[in-house]
Amino acid sequence: MEKDNQKIEDFFYRNNEQVNNPIIKSFLSDSQNLYLVQKAILYPTDINKKLVDESFQSHYINVRKTKYVSNLIYFFSLDFDKKRRRLQNRSLLILDKGLSEKDGKTAIEGIEDASNETELDNIVGEGLLDNIEDEQLLKSLQKLTVKQLQILEMIYVKELSIKEIAQTLQTTPQNISNLHRKALNKLNNTLRKKGE
Amino acid sequence: MVNLGDQHNEETLTIIENFIPKIKHCLHNTDYQEREDLEQEIKLKIIEKLATVRFQDAPSFWDFFS
Repeated sequence: MEKDNQKIEDFFYRNNEQVNNPIIKSFLSDSQNLYLVQKAILYPTDINKKLVDESFQSHYINVRKTKYVSNLIYFFSLDFDKKRRRLQNRSLLILDKGLSEKDGKTAIEGIEDASNETELDNIVGEGLLDNIEDEQLLKSLQKLTVKQLQILEMIYVKELSIKEIAQTLQTTPQNISNLHRKALNKLNNTLRKKGE
Repeated sequence: MVNLGDQHNEETLTIIENFIPKIKHCLHNTDYQEREDLEQEIKLKIIEKLATVRFQDAPSFWDFFS
């Protein structure tokens, strides 16, 4: 047994360079492959050698496949993006020319004008109370103090930040945030009471 | 013939599954709107290539050792 071990060690020692070859190394890191190789070293019959070869060849092909697929993914993704850019540059979205030869409609006509919406807001009225549809909520809101209403309006209708509101009302952001929280709590309470 | 095909399909599937992290990583090479498309294209390409490319001429293990 010891003689066997000696023989195997000798073999690996003699072929140190080859054993450190990455493909051989990864092949031998599998215990089953190592076992096959050891068997072939101890009993170098054709069958044992052939077994090693078969195993090695499938390992080798697997490694090549993995490498191939890895490269394929990388380069394909680059090519894909290149192709996409080229196509995009070729067919730019042109807004002010006719969509088709016959009618003079342009793409720009199909785009909705965002400023129309603000016009609609102006008709309804800008205030917070003008925009409430729910009757209960409207009644609850009317119970709040003027200042609280003002703050709610600035936060939710005008979408100002707490800091900006503090500046316009000439107070601290902490105060605004306190008043905001109190207003919401009060609303919550009155709505809950009505719900019960 | 059918068996061979099945085996090949299964092998391709495991290869793709093992490579999913790498595919996801490479999706960053393109715009975010195109990523779903690219992912599908890559998988398609892998299937196509694994079916057509021949991986042969593996050297003998004993060629490495004198």
